[in-house]
Amino acid sequence: MRNLAFLGAGSLLLALGALAVVPRTRPVQAAQSASDTLPAWKLAAGDTANLKGPKQPVFFRHDIHSGVNKMTCQYCHYSVAESSEPGIPTMATCMGCHLIIGGSDSSHKVEIKKVRDAWNAKQPIEWVRIHSVARHAHFPHMRHIKALGPNACQTCHGDVARMPQVFKVNNINNMGFCITCHVERKISRDCTACHY
Amino acid sequence: MSDETFPEGIDRRRFLTVLGVTGAGAAAMSGCSTDKVEKLVPYLVQSDDQIPGIPTWYASTCTECGAGCGLHVKTREARAIKLEGNPAHPVNAGKLCAHGQSALQGLYNPGRIKGPMARQADGSFKPVTWDEAIALLGQKLQGAGGKLGVISGAGRGTFSDLLSAWTQAQGGRVVRYQAFDFEPVRAANQQVFGTSEVPAYDFAAARYILSFGTDFLQDFVSPVEHQRGFAESHGFNDGQMAKHVMLAPRLSLTGMNADEWVTLRPGSEAAIALAMTNVILAERTGNPADANGLRGALAAWTPEQAQEASGVGAEVIRRLAREFVSAQPSLAVAGGISTQHRGAIQLCAAVNLLNYVAGNVGRTVKFGADLDTGDGYGAVESLLRTMEQGQLAVAIVHDANPAYSLPKSGGFAAKFAKVPFKVSTSLYLDETSQLCDLLLPGHHALERWDDLRPRKGATGLLQPVMEPVFQTMATGDVLLKAAQKVGGAVAALPAVAAPSYEAHLKAQWLTVVGTDEAWRAALQRGGIYGDSPVTSVRLAATAANVTYTAPAFDGEAGPEGFYFAPVPSVMGDGRFANRPWMLELSDPVTKITWHSWVEMHPETARRIDVREGEIVQLTSPHGTLSVPVYITPGIHPEVLAVPLGMGHTAFGDFATGRGVNALDLLDAKDGQGFLPYQATRVTLARTREFKQVAKTEGTTRQLGRGIADAMTLAQAKAGMTPALARKAEGHEEHEINTELEVEAIEGFRESQLEQRKRGAYAVEGQPMWGMVIDLARCTGCSACVTACYAENNIAWVGEEAILKGREMTWMRIERYWEGGEDGDPLEARVVPVLCQHCDNAPCEPVCPVYAAYHTPDGLNGQVYNRCVGTRYCGNNCPYKVRYFNWSAYNKTAFPEPLNLGLNPDVTVRGRGVMEKCTFCIQRIRGAQHTARLEDRELRDGDVVTACAQACPSNAITFGNMKDPASRVAQAQQSPRGYHVLEDLNVRPAVTYLAKVLHRAEG
Amino acid sequence: MATIVRDPGTPTQTHHEVTRDVVNTLGTAGKGYLLLLAGAVGLFLVGVGTFIMLLKDGLGLAGYNPPVFWSVFITTFVFWVGIGHAGTLISAILFLFRSPWRTAVYRATEAMTVFAVMTAGLFPIIHIGRQWFFYWLMPYPNQRWLWPNFKSPLVWDVFAISTYLTVSTTFLCVGLVPDVAAARDIMSGWRQKVYRIFSLGWKGTDNQWRHYSRAYLYLAALATPLVLSVHSIVSWDFAMSIIPGWHGTIFAPYFVAGAIYSGVGMVFTLIIPLRKVLKIEHMITDYHFDNLAKLTLFTGSILFYAYLMEYFIGWYSGNVFEQTTFWRRAFGPMWWGGWTMIICNAFVSQLLWFRRIRTNLTSLFIISIFINIGMWFERYVIITSSLSNDFLPFAWSQMNPTWADWGILAGSFGWFGMWFLLFARTFPVVAIQEIKEQIPYPRLRKGGH
Repeated sequence: MRNLAFLGAGSLLLALGALAVVPRTRPVQAAQSASDTLPAWKLAAGDTANLKGPKQPVFFRHDIHSGVNKMTCQYCHYSVAESSEPGIPTMATCMGCHLIIGGSDSSHKVEIKKVRDAWNAKQPIEWVRIHSVARHAHFPHMRHIKALGPNACQTCHGDVARMPQVFKVNNINNMGFCITCHVERKISRDCTACHY
Repeated sequence: MSDETFPEGIDRRRFLTVLGVTGAGAAAMSGCSTDKVEKLVPYLVQSDDQIPGIPTWYASTCTECGAGCGLHVKTREARAIKLEGNPAHPVNAGKLCAHGQSALQGLYNPGRIKGPMARQADGSFKPVTWDEAIALLGQKLQGAGGKLGVISGAGRGTFSDLLSAWTQAQGGRVVRYQAFDFEPVRAANQQVFGTSEVPAYDFAAARYILSFGTDFLQDFVSPVEHQRGFAESHGFNDGQMAKHVMLAPRLSLTGMNADEWVTLRPGSEAAIALAMTNVILAERTGNPADANGLRGALAAWTPEQAQEASGVGAEVIRRLAREFVSAQPSLAVAGGISTQHRGAIQLCAAVNLLNYVAGNVGRTVKFGADLDTGDGYGAVESLLRTMEQGQLAVAIVHDANPAYSLPKSGGFAAKFAKVPFKVSTSLYLDETSQLCDLLLPGHHALERWDDLRPRKGATGLLQPVMEPVFQTMATGDVLLKAAQKVGGAVAALPAVAAPSYEAHLKAQWLTVVGTDEAWRAALQRGGIYGDSPVTSVRLAATAANVTYTAPAFDGEAGPEGFYFAPVPSVMGDGRFANRPWMLELSDPVTKITWHSWVEMHPETARRIDVREGEIVQLTSPHGTLSVPVYITPGIHPEVLAVPLGMGHTAFGDFATGRGVNALDLLDAKDGQGFLPYQATRVTLARTREFKQVAKTEGTTRQLGRGIADAMTLAQAKAGMTPALARKAEGHEEHEINTELEVEAIEGFRESQLEQRKRGAYAVEGQPMWGMVIDLARCTGCSACVTACYAENNIAWVGEEAILKGREMTWMRIERYWEGGEDGDPLEARVVPVLCQHCDNAPCEPVCPVYAAYHTPDGLNGQVYNRCVGTRYCGNNCPYKVRYFNWSAYNKTAFPEPLNLGLNPDVTVRGRGVMEKCTFCIQRIRGAQHTARLEDRELRDGDVVTACAQACPSNAITFGNMKDPASRVAQAQQSPRGYHVLEDLNVRPAVTYLAKVLHRAEG
Repeated sequence: MATIVRDPGTPTQTHHEVTRDVVNTLGTAGKGYLLLLAGAVGLFLVGVGTFIMLLKDGLGLAGYNPPVFWSVFITTFVFWVGIGHAGTLISAILFLFRSPWRTAVYRATEAMTVFAVMTAGLFPIIHIGRQWFFYWLMPYPNQRWLWPNFKSPLVWDVFAISTYLTVSTTFLCVGLVPDVAAARDIMSGWRQKVYRIFSLGWKGTDNQWRHYSRAYLYLAALATPLVLSVHSIVSWDFAMSIIPGWHGTIFAPYFVAGAIYSGVGMVFTLIIPLRKVLKIEHMITDYHFDNLAKLTLFTGSILFYAYLMEYFIGWYSGNVFEQTTFWRRAFGPMWWGGWTMIICNAFVSQLLWFRRIRTNLTSLFIISIFINIGMWFERYVIITSSLSNDFLPFAWSQMNPTWADWGILAGSFGWFGMWFLLFARTFPVVAIQEIKEQIPYPRLRKGGH
């Protein structure tokens, strides 16, 4: 803590600030999605290592469920339109289909078996969380779905439908990311809209 | 440093133990900081009543006292996070007191016993499985051969029925024990009316309320109900208000709300009641026919005689008597522990006569509700005798703590020790359970199935709102399981056939409600609510025997012997002393927190030369205790008052060793079937040791600053404003600003009003939030304070910090004394102070980082995560309602599992940031979300702040000031309205309505 | 100590002697000096330790007692900013006024200014709740689209302090150039290397002299307004609030006078021992002290007046809040603080009407100590006593400092002392070339024609 920091930090942070300014925070579309490299169904569990995003206990394929099979996001994320929490599918929801669907190829079978075992063991699968907003910011999902429509998820989450393994496309922890959008759309920039 | 700003994480395992297999969408809400790897744990099967992020409400019933108020329990992700009153309930009508609010800290209390434990040979407790525990219990019961005794504090209901059936089937006996009992009232009613039931008091209907020392707002039968009724009648509505007179040696919370406080010699209340009755009978025609029969019996009791006994002027007594009958209907209340001296029965009987003669019985004093009261102290004593004589093989203590709540001089511990096998179902390791051999911790009321019948016409249901926090078991199930082990008559009970207590309860209910639908409906509603029947009573033959004899006091008489008054405080009978919220809640009368004190009159203090904080030693024939002095004008010079409920020797880390137990000075012998709380005199010895008193008040006087304003009834009727009233009173308004200043301020105000049409405060389509607090209704009970703590995750800071003035009470009740010097009557003024959300907020421009700023909807926003903690806003706030996190209170105030009660919608503030009342912005935003989803505008009443929701006297109104139809906008129009420190022109959004005093005319 | 004849004191040495004497002060350090230095560093370390504790456990360690949200830290901040002002006054303003008596002392006071402001600059960081976010007080572009609140006096502070530090540092360094050059030419070893850097290749050519004196003049002109502006802004930290006892229009001049008063006091405290230690009594003579003392008397009297005015306004305003505040300042729980400040500043300074006292270094030294204490208490009383009893009586409370407060206070003195001592041994504390300028042309000494 040198007092000169009072001067130094000024210029230093000017530089930092400059780096941090707006462009980095614009919504990024799925162009950079890893699945461009391979046709989706070719990916096997073994490949997860080369994919972006954290490895999940089960190699759940958003690209297949939502991309190939065209399932709507809200089929699993059931409360996104009514609650601030989007909700994550219950094991029952998975088994709803996977009682019958056992998987088309061996690598899929392996993964689906994990789900069935977990269900039989009455043990929930503990997914690794990817998107989480800091706790001093309140993000009401329902308001955004209400305003942007049910398929607006990718505005923040990127084109999940083309991600074999979900990764963070936008730095949603970055307040600039929220503000940019709010300013562009002329929506409240009042601090207490989110911070309370 | 993000972890500085947010609470310690509730780790996932903790969740699963709480939520059981239904998992946690709630991980999203858990506090762990974002840089850690978080897990999302899905439900296995979606429970149909839980949507993550949306609260689920359950109806239940409050068990914190005998009143049995209805509850609405707010749960998020299957954790109870807030308690509110059930609007449908006849007793509390949606309101809830501080004790009820604090039930959450009973549920999540770190001091709870984690599971069943059995005492070992070496005297230590060892955890056992429930099967082992119940097997052990069954075996002991078998061996008991009917020598079984049960002390139960449980309210009347299916459980207590089962318990008595269960015990009797084994030849044992149950005593239903409540520390604060109403035996004198019952005995007196028996004598005068021939019924031993405790009546319901209808304060709402009373036009004149006369309390003979009864603290009915804090600790008598049904406080919330009384609060509501009292506010209805004593609050000022369209020119009318009841007068409230308090006859007592000490100014209790109830006394603070009296228009007239008549102080008198302890124990002499009955003389006055008799004299008043006599005056009425003598002067008034048209008394109830049978009452005239009393004339002869009472003729002897002249006001002069009463003056002799009590020191209250005969003229005063006559005046009171006349006022009392002229206002119809009136209501006189007696009983409760604050007058439980050896003459308590005489007192209650005399007051019964007074009410009867004045024709109040049946109108404001209503028999027939059959309020639930315990078996009384006499029954306990006789059970203790059987213990002493070694006639008990097994003793079970349920939901009671006699080892603490009976005076030591009674020797409970010794007698209890004579019982070979002692069982406790207490949730906490308290004084009694420490003496037991087997601990079978029961479920908390929010974790179990149960019901309560506090009065005829109102039966409340309890349902589990969440999985048990610990490995506990509902005592009902323990009884059933044990019964099967014991066999014999008890196993043959029909109830025992039921697979579980829940099943038994439902079966019982089906016999009443009939269908499953009706049962579900009852569950949803919270029980079966209706009006209580009213039976008319007549004078019994024994009524004529009512008399007054000066009650006997133990201990030193004469000038050195002070009357010792153990008084009810926030701690109740001691059952709340393990809850930080209650310990931190400053006592409504003395504003002291976290420790015991002795109240002393200034004269007395001067006479014996002690100063505030000096530790004095009080000695009675039965014991002695040392406690710091608090000097207050609100007490009779010959009386020393010490609050009850502290000085625990066990009962969790929060309670143990804190303060003193006033019961230590009391005599346990009764002779009349109740514990004589007020029958002791003590001598006082100075120690010349000092302890700084941990009080939240700075100065007790307003210094003419017009903070808590008041006017007389006449002035209020005339529609005067507080300023006019002050002029009328003669004392010219304090010149706070020179004329030039006033001129300038006026000009500035104009420009402000101009701006308001444009500026930040007038964003089109934005509401402007405001609040009105009616001081004519506010009693200072402090329910709002605890409600605020619960809703806003406010950290308690502990005694050390409070000594440094660092409490965090966003909502605080300021108590000022008026008068009391050179003859004019002492008057207490209370004013709840919270952030006033000023338009010209002084805190806003000085914040260097815009952490304090004005929101478009007229709030004074505080952005915790932007705050760097320069504290300039705190300096510049004239209301001193900004609170700074001097230390990491978020780390210390929520030890597991207390953190489970945190409100996920409110950020937990970390060290180094300023915080304050937000007008419950999370509720505002929530309502706005809902309205938006339903494509509608906000409606008046959509947003209710936690304080307004809890306030038992409906003193607080909140809403959108821009909407002329809103209740808050209406209330603001009242001529009684004023702003605290108005001349600073900070334009507060909180309007106070001046208190109205019903003084004797002329 | 003997009083001396009133002699404007044209130095009697030759140019060479001056250089020699001054450069001698840079010689290897004696025991006394090293002891002092060790003490200063020790105190500084105490401060560092305390600050680490504050970072770890929060400001709760200090004796804050709401409603007293500011206390010792802000007090000490204002104290040090104030100290700085005398330096600039003497070195810049008196330079512009061409008052010769400043030459001997201005270098030391200038250094004092820089180090005092350096010390003060630490406090805005130390006193805030989340020290690691102190930079949020400075404007810089960020992706959150957030800026500081330019309405807030605290933001003005940031600018005032940083500006003051920059200007006075530059002023000091520029002033040093020719002297350092002189030292460079005499000294050898590491010192020479240091001086080579600081002398910026000074050769003493006419051209350099011309530019140099210009630059020095302009810097002096630049520094002059700061003497008034900086402490005015600091005073507005208080005057801009609505707190009775703070909310006063006289605060700016009141504080500036106080600042210079306290600064000169500190000059006495530093120079009187220094001239002995460095054996330069014949350069900094009682003549200089006499003038400094007059300055003290002047500012002290302004202060006296300001005190009277404060109480008068408090009473005359007819405002209960003001009246209560000042009544309690004099007779309330903090009466001792109130009277300490009045006695040490208003009364003690009046002793300087007597020349015998003005010219007696012992008495001057003692008085200067009183001044330092008094001025610290002035700020302490104004801040804590005003806060402890403002609008709502229910919230009134008193605060008591704790070890954390004293630790930081001690640390600030250590930090200041450390720098000053190091400077005194490393750079010429007397302006060589300006002394020379006053020496009459050598020829005259041989008696003219």
